[in-house]
Amino acid sequence: MAKPVGILRFLGTNCDRDVWEAVEATGHKPQWLWHADQFSVGDYSAFIVPGGFSYGDYLRCGVLAAKSPVMKSLREAAGLGYPVLGICNGLQILCESRLLPGVMVRNIGRRFIDTWVELKLENQTRWTSGLKPGARIRLPIAHGEGRFYAADEELKKITDGGQVWWTYSTENPNGSLRDIAGVCNAEKNVCGLMPHPERAMHTWLGGEDGRQILKNMVAA
Amino acid sequence: MKDKLKQYRLSAEEFERIKKLLGREPQGVEWALFSALWSEHCSYKSSRVHLKKFAFKSARVLQAMGENAGVIDLGQGEKVAFKMESHNHPSFIEPYQGAATGVGGILRDIFTMGARPIALANYLCFGEPSAPRMQALVEGVVSGIAGYGNCVGVPTVTGQTEFDASYNGNILVNVLALGLFSEGEPIVTSPARGVGNLVVYVGAKTGRDGVHGASMASESFAENSASKRPTVQIGDPFFEKLLIESCIEVMHRNLVVAVQDMGAAGLTSSSFEMAAKGGVGLRLHLDKVPLRDSSVGPEEILLSESQERMLLICTPKNLAGVEEVFARWGLDAKVLGEVVPGPEIELLWKDEVICKIDPNLLIEHAPVYERAYSAWTPKHRNSIAGAAPSSLKNVVGSIEGTSREWIYRQYDQRVGVKTVRDCSDSVAVLRLPSSGRGLGLVLGCRPHVMRMDAQIGGYDAAFYPALELCAKGFQPLAMTDCLNFGNPEKPEIMSEFVASVEALAAASKLLDAPVISGNVSFYNETQNVGVTSTPATGLVGLRDSIENIPHSHFANEGDAIFLWRMPGVSFAGGSFSGELKPAAVAAWLGEVREFVTRTRCSATRVVGKFGLQYALYRMCTPELGATVEMREWGNSPAAWNVETLYEIVLTVSPDLELKTPHCWRLGTVTRGTLKIDSVDQDLTTLHTTYRKGWRKHFALLA
Repeated sequence: MAKPVGILRFLGTNCDRDVWEAVEATGHKPQWLWHADQFSVGDYSAFIVPGGFSYGDYLRCGVLAAKSPVMKSLREAAGLGYPVLGICNGLQILCESRLLPGVMVRNIGRRFIDTWVELKLENQTRWTSGLKPGARIRLPIAHGEGRFYAADEELKKITDGGQVWWTYSTENPNGSLRDIAGVCNAEKNVCGLMPHPERAMHTWLGGEDGRQILKNMVAA
Repeated sequence: MKDKLKQYRLSAEEFERIKKLLGREPQGVEWALFSALWSEHCSYKSSRVHLKKFAFKSARVLQAMGENAGVIDLGQGEKVAFKMESHNHPSFIEPYQGAATGVGGILRDIFTMGARPIALANYLCFGEPSAPRMQALVEGVVSGIAGYGNCVGVPTVTGQTEFDASYNGNILVNVLALGLFSEGEPIVTSPARGVGNLVVYVGAKTGRDGVHGASMASESFAENSASKRPTVQIGDPFFEKLLIESCIEVMHRNLVVAVQDMGAAGLTSSSFEMAAKGGVGLRLHLDKVPLRDSSVGPEEILLSESQERMLLICTPKNLAGVEEVFARWGLDAKVLGEVVPGPEIELLWKDEVICKIDPNLLIEHAPVYERAYSAWTPKHRNSIAGAAPSSLKNVVGSIEGTSREWIYRQYDQRVGVKTVRDCSDSVAVLRLPSSGRGLGLVLGCRPHVMRMDAQIGGYDAAFYPALELCAKGFQPLAMTDCLNFGNPEKPEIMSEFVASVEALAAASKLLDAPVISGNVSFYNETQNVGVTSTPATGLVGLRDSIENIPHSHFANEGDAIFLWRMPGVSFAGGSFSGELKPAAVAAWLGEVREFVTRTRCSATRVVGKFGLQYALYRMCTPELGATVEMREWGNSPAAWNVETLYEIVLTVSPDLELKTPHCWRLGTVTRGTLKIDSVDQDLTTLHTTYRKGWRKHFALLA
């Protein structure tokens, strides 16, 4: 059996159980990774940083979680090329850890938004090997600070380097630059997106496009 | 002495009663104890005699009134706890924190029982958009609910929002929370047990916020409500999230004997209730309470309504386990004292006894008032100013009729991955994770019906939401209520209270859906003007599967549209005619449910305020509309706007013949237009008006 998928839990993470269920639904074995502990990288096949309000969004979304002991190990895993996925607050944490480029700021309109969005795959990564660039999927979003921002120079680097993972294809809900909904690192193993694939795993949840992201996570 | 009574909000008669019970005048902190526990909010002194009318229970009830929340058995190893509670006064004074702590408080009532919260719902009544502060109140309340609920990770799945001038000076903010017990998970209760067991304080530290909050909420507003701001609590959803996880963990590991959250009147009411219910005494060292500010004194500690705090009882053997769990979640767990042989509670400050009192004097012997009222007769019925017949476009753009999306888009409706139907639907549906069955949740109480007749309105507060459940094939199982009324010392208010309580109780029996939890909020008045009496309800229903639940909008072009009406009662333009026969309504609801379960309906919708025309519009989608004729069956076009208790629109496959009595074919689902009696209603304009109506009334809100 393949090695388990590590799911990071910080104080205030609230999509952890949902991600656990989604990982199980795609036939993988989930395992918790607690914020205060480091872990042995080789024991896992992939890592997911779920959404929520880590540390109550105090100071700035994701910034406190980025300083946790568990992130030391995650950084190591990222450097070794393991697949790492950040969802919503997980993306914010990866940005604050500088594992992913850019920052997430307050939505245009300054309100939390819960709705379904349509996304377009811009560049291939470890997490979307089953899809071709240009593919469109529907996922729900639920965030107050999901507006992607990067300074001109960094934005150019991201765009030129094929690090734009997903864009909002019909309506940009939060004012993200270049309609960016998800980004990846230069090596394409660390990925993050604001929409929630784990909330779109069954038709009864409103759609099952989330499987397109989560089922491919473990290549080996 | 007069000043002292005023300060502690006790009446002269209550003071006499205290003297008689104690055999002397109260001293020191006793004043504060009586003030808090004898407040309307804590003692239910004006409502208690009538709340006994909710005694009916079904076989599914595992826990009814008397605990933090009611619990029902869903079978197949699944149970749910739920309750609704008001936070009206704090929300009017400070809308963001008032609403946020309302969410926090009701969530604690649920997980205190050992259930994991899986859904929130809110029932909101605001004044006219043009009333003073109303834009800011709407903004603050919605943001407060969103800010708290989203952060703790409990989805808000349904709600109801009303606007009426009677709420201009006193808004209503009622929040319902529902929690799930999976197979084998224990129900945890509050009676303290076991002499020698430890009393442990967990959660956030205690500050001065909310001191005297319970007695504040038991008074009418004078003009200057802003001066009461310090009595509003401040919430922190991050702490609540940690508290949920740590409390559920100690409960699932059976490390605790009893749990009680610190809600109204804080440590006082939680400790006194735990002791009184358990028939034991407690010894509590108040100086051991973790404080935010070292200058907070014993009286403030007793009355503080600081949020996100719980009191637990555990055996000395399990203390280390309890401490370990809370430390892991970053929370304080502090032993305050122990369970002692009863009945007295001993409060100590730096090893000195500052109060020793039998909690029963404050709880069992709290005053109970038989407030004056008169029995309800049709003479009490008001002829309310009904909505003047209006074009569909006007209704759709009015504040009562327009889209509520601005509100619910700010709520996370999907965290927890159980949401099958969200706030955009008329009934929220959650999928029960282990059995895969559907749990339906819907709120009730229509203020415009209450304004006409408090008895019919009381029945309606149960029947209307029950019909919504039945129309989707759910069996109503139980309900909670949140009774928002004006000043109970006024006989006309008390008469409405009694009439609607009795109607609700009778309806719950007829539906076999007992009232298992609830809350009473009196004194919803400002400068002597009361709100519309508003007995809000929350109903829970069950369905065997989540497959093929009828939509609330048209689903297939060509489907046949039918109207199914319960005969006998019409209600239009403020005039009511006919007679509401509760047993007949309940029987008809059963028929509807039976029909929807047996027949594949593509869509169903209950017709409500504004009548049939509006209901048909609400079933239209950007793609699908309808062509309907009413003339055929002999009604005048005016009848389109008549509100009838009760009727539903349903759509079925065109080859299906419906031969049910009082069921008429209205027309057919078509593409792109809504034609009523050959008149094209311009669907595109209606959709734009419906979507933008909110913006028109709340231009100041981004």
